[in-house]
Amino acid sequence: MTISHHPPEDLLADFAAGKLEEAHHLVVGVHVSGCARCARFVQAIEQLAGAALEEVEPAAIAPDAFDRVMSRIHEAPKQIAAPPLASATDDDVPPALRKYRIGKRRRVAPGLSLRPIELSGSGTARAFLLRSAPGSRMLEHTHTGTELTLVLEGSFSHEGGRFGPGDFDYGDDEVDHRPIVGDEGPCLCLVAMTGDLRMNGFLGRLIGPFVRL
Amino acid sequence: MIAAIPALKMPIRAEAGLPRRVPARLSIGASKGPKAKVDWADLIGRVAANGDREAFKRLFEHFAPRIKGLMLKAGCSSDEAEEIAQSTLIAVWRKAHQFDPATAGAPAWIFTIARNLRIDLFRRRARTDRLQAGSELPDEPDQAEPADILISRGQDAARIALAIRQLSAEQSMVVRLSFIEERPHPEIASALGIPLGTVKSRIRLAMNRLRDILDEEA
Repeated sequence: MTISHHPPEDLLADFAAGKLEEAHHLVVGVHVSGCARCARFVQAIEQLAGAALEEVEPAAIAPDAFDRVMSRIHEAPKQIAAPPLASATDDDVPPALRKYRIGKRRRVAPGLSLRPIELSGSGTARAFLLRSAPGSRMLEHTHTGTELTLVLEGSFSHEGGRFGPGDFDYGDDEVDHRPIVGDEGPCLCLVAMTGDLRMNGFLGRLIGPFVRL
Repeated sequence: MIAAIPALKMPIRAEAGLPRRVPARLSIGASKGPKAKVDWADLIGRVAANGDREAFKRLFEHFAPRIKGLMLKAGCSSDEAEEIAQSTLIAVWRKAHQFDPATAGAPAWIFTIARNLRIDLFRRRARTDRLQAGSELPDEPDQAEPADILISRGQDAARIALAIRQLSAEQSMVVRLSFIEERPHPEIASALGIPLGTVKSRIRLAMNRLRDILDEEA
């Protein structure tokens, strides 16, 4: 797997600092977990953060903090109820997403279906898995916010190039694109989206409200 | 590790909106003081090997106040920063056996723990708020806290440390203020006494430079 499209560096730095909202953190994180180049960049920012931690002005800690920490350590670790995991046989769900609750697949148009990923609600962006049929032409669309897309399987192409497994595509309101899905098989993408997606054309207007994109 | 990062001493929360010039004081690693550098990795190793309480106490006394300080700078409330600092040290105790000095320095490792706990705290709070609002999913159990997606780490901590030393002091500083202390660009501009446009271009240049250096090293 050769990855040729990476997240912009400031997005990686925000990821490393823990600043990204949940949906974006998820998409960038899954990319980074499969991309040695971006993992190195993230580690570099973490090293810088470590240096910052060493030099930051210390803040006074509660007087009984150490004792409280020691007694919490000696309590049995909390048993957290295991979350309902996606089934291991669920081939739509990559390992990095198995900790998430993922909704049922909804058909949104011929050859296009999505599965919402349940997030905590701390951010405003939505995350979902988007599956599109080989050879299909995605709807022409523009964004009012940003769209982060990570290819998990298959490929798509638009004027920015060809995007295969592991490739990361960053779309914002500057972009007006109409991706074409590769012929080799269905294209499965992990998508984080803020704002609205403006579908152009009749079909777009038709499905837009339905998929709440 | 990073020798040339000027220390900023500016209480950001108390005086937001009051721009102040910060002298570009460079602290050189070697001049930090006569006391020998503490081997944090060794202390973590002792905690892992036999639950060494004295070693842990030294880690606690050094890192807990700094975690709290960094979290305050990054915009946490005092209670949140305290909670994150304490929980981080508990995690340091519990995960000490996972620490591998070949892949990360101790401060960077501890930073990543604190960062993940902060993410988890915000998510948990959002979920609680949502449940209390009664809007949806009232009966569902808590999800796993998924902040730490596993990133495979090569054995290249030393190479990465080498790479970030090639950033200029100015570049390291601006990355730190913008991404780690999470200060808005206008505030960085007034803190460093440079125009806003320079802040943006310097961040851009620092990011590109870091990427280039890491690519060369690969």
